[in-house]
Amino acid sequence: MDSILLTAAHKKELVVKDDIPSQSDGTMVINTNRLTKAFGHLIAVNDLHLQVMRGDVFGFLGPNGSGKTTTIRMLLGLIRPTAGRAILFGMDNAYQLPAILQRIGAIVEMPVFYSYLSGLDNLRVVAAASGMMSGPSNNRRLEEVLDIVELRAYEKLPFRKYSLGMKQRLGIAAALLTDPELVLLDEPTNGLDPAGMIEIRHLITRLSSLGKTIFLSSHILYEVQQVCNRVAILQKGNLIKQGTVAELLRDSEAIEVRMNREDESHYALHILQQAQVRGMDWVKQIQLSTNRRNQLILVISAPSHRSAEVNAFLAHNKLFAAEIHPREGSLEELFLEVTTSASQEGRAGLQALANVANEATEQAHNAKREAL
Amino acid sequence: MSTSPNAKELTEQTALPAPRRSETVVMGRADFLSIILRLIGVELYKFRRRAMSKVITAIALPILILTFLVLTAFSFIYIYTPVESYLPPKCTETAIKEKQPCLDHLPTQDDLAHAAQSKSEAIQQGSTLLRLPASLAVVSQLLQSVGLIFSVIIAGTITGGEYGVGTIRLMFTRGPTRTQFLLSKVGAMLAAIGLSVVLWVITGILLGTVLNLFVGIALNFTFLTGTWIVHTILYLVALVLDLFIYAMLALCLSTLGRSSAAGVAGALLWWILEGIIGPLFVYTGTVIKGVWGDILKAVPDYFIGVNTTTLLQNQDQYVVGGQPSFLSDLHAVLVLAVYLVVFIGLACWVNQQRDIT
Repeated sequence: MDSILLTAAHKKELVVKDDIPSQSDGTMVINTNRLTKAFGHLIAVNDLHLQVMRGDVFGFLGPNGSGKTTTIRMLLGLIRPTAGRAILFGMDNAYQLPAILQRIGAIVEMPVFYSYLSGLDNLRVVAAASGMMSGPSNNRRLEEVLDIVELRAYEKLPFRKYSLGMKQRLGIAAALLTDPELVLLDEPTNGLDPAGMIEIRHLITRLSSLGKTIFLSSHILYEVQQVCNRVAILQKGNLIKQGTVAELLRDSEAIEVRMNREDESHYALHILQQAQVRGMDWVKQIQLSTNRRNQLILVISAPSHRSAEVNAFLAHNKLFAAEIHPREGSLEELFLEVTTSASQEGRAGLQALANVANEATEQAHNAKREAL
Repeated sequence: MSTSPNAKELTEQTALPAPRRSETVVMGRADFLSIILRLIGVELYKFRRRAMSKVITAIALPILILTFLVLTAFSFIYIYTPVESYLPPKCTETAIKEKQPCLDHLPTQDDLAHAAQSKSEAIQQGSTLLRLPASLAVVSQLLQSVGLIFSVIIAGTITGGEYGVGTIRLMFTRGPTRTQFLLSKVGAMLAAIGLSVVLWVITGILLGTVLNLFVGIALNFTFLTGTWIVHTILYLVALVLDLFIYAMLALCLSTLGRSSAAGVAGALLWWILEGIIGPLFVYTGTVIKGVWGDILKAVPDYFIGVNTTTLLQNQDQYVVGGQPSFLSDLHAVLVLAVYLVVFIGLACWVNQQRDIT
């Protein structure tokens, strides 16, 4: 197998690609089935069905408290699911956790090591705990991973003297130590400066090109969009989106249209809505919004390559756009869109429940009054 | 009997083949025992590198040296006492009436020779603790007090510290099972205590022997027989067990409490309490009398300290020449075995069931 040593020469070769090619061979590496975790009355993860293919760079997104870390902990066997199963490499982690962990390298939240040991000594401890031979037989490997994360110069420094970024990099080195098939990274760029973040992005791309499966939990959506080919979005423990980045972004593509006058905008909205009903089925949704300059615009949820057709349709109806341009979907927008709508749905659900409860109470009062 | 495969067998059948690792990754043996032995090595390595181990050694060694220096100082008091002090006192009416030995004349050569003999015996007696086999008892007493406190501190911190700092997540996601992880701590503690006891005993005996040279009493090895060696080995095993069982109490409590403080404070508190509540049980039992009184009086027989002391005392009679315990070795071994099973078993079970958040 090719080594994952990242030399200076390699780094020059690395470029962040716009279109992330999937290394997936269709084999499922992670497959969760109705995975659920409840802490008392709080359901941290609910009925999660997650599929990660071999070779995927899988982005795991969600706001704080959405259940990302809980899911990772369940995958790693740190916490037991309340219900459901997690199958990794075809093995159930409830029964074969040691065999699974032998094939995983992971960082869970902020990496913690023994403060009194140096970076190198910490890696020695982790190597022995991971089943690697003790003694000098693995020295080359230790040097390799320290090179990958550029900590060779600081290998003798005690861990307590490491900066936040150095700690994070040592965590990545530890995760890569056994050359694992699956690398689980929970917020790996926390504490890193922009240059460090780019390094990690390059590293993920490089690892992916070597056939590793990467499971990346991150808040930094731009970072995820740059490196991941598939993503899942979690909100309050529920999986609300899962798929390839291309698919999901296609769904969030839109065309922005600005008319010269407000009444034209309202009229354009009216005729576009009619056209949508009559057969322009590629238009998913139309709404009025404002742009950064606080001007009224029409946002048409449709594939961006349909801009010309929209323009022609408006012109046919004697409406001439002052501006029309496609708006490419970004993960950030998609994320905000789906998490906000899920929250609204949640609030609406709660409101509906409250209404039902109120109605039931009222009916009970009425029944009581009638009985009296 | 059903022949359908269970869930575990099914997942074993469907496991994806693992690709080869990089050539630079050299994996060790993966059987249960090899993993534990490797983890014990890791624990001992961490233990050796901790500042606390160095601090404990830095405290323990001076305590050992100081103890033997104090014992030597006592011998020197006898040495520098003039021979005349060992003469019988001058006769008084009371002494004559009570027929006590006294001197009614100026000391003769015979009296002085007798006094010199008494002085020599006093020096011999006073410096016994510097020489084998009594020096072994001195080291043993130090180990049972200072050594026990240190063992408890180490056991509490090596387990509770993992929870406190959060390195437990690191270790639990590397492959070994939680049971292997805990057993490696148990093994590391046993190895560390065993090694410390041997080193302390050797250092103490050598130190006593060297200081005895200044006192000038000839060494006598007539006690050194095959039986003595066997009982001394058993005595050292009992000593290791004494420290180990309190260390396991600390390990269990620090696992339950997820902190070093819970383990260290809990174990030390119990060690002290045993000495206080034991006599209270016996006193209350004596006052109450009857069946309940007998039960209360028997309760301390099941305390850890009483049983470890029993094992030590029953070997001590052969090693130094003390009195045997009123309890049998079998009783002590059975009681201590139950404690060990409970402490290690409970820690394993809690460790296994617990969510690491």
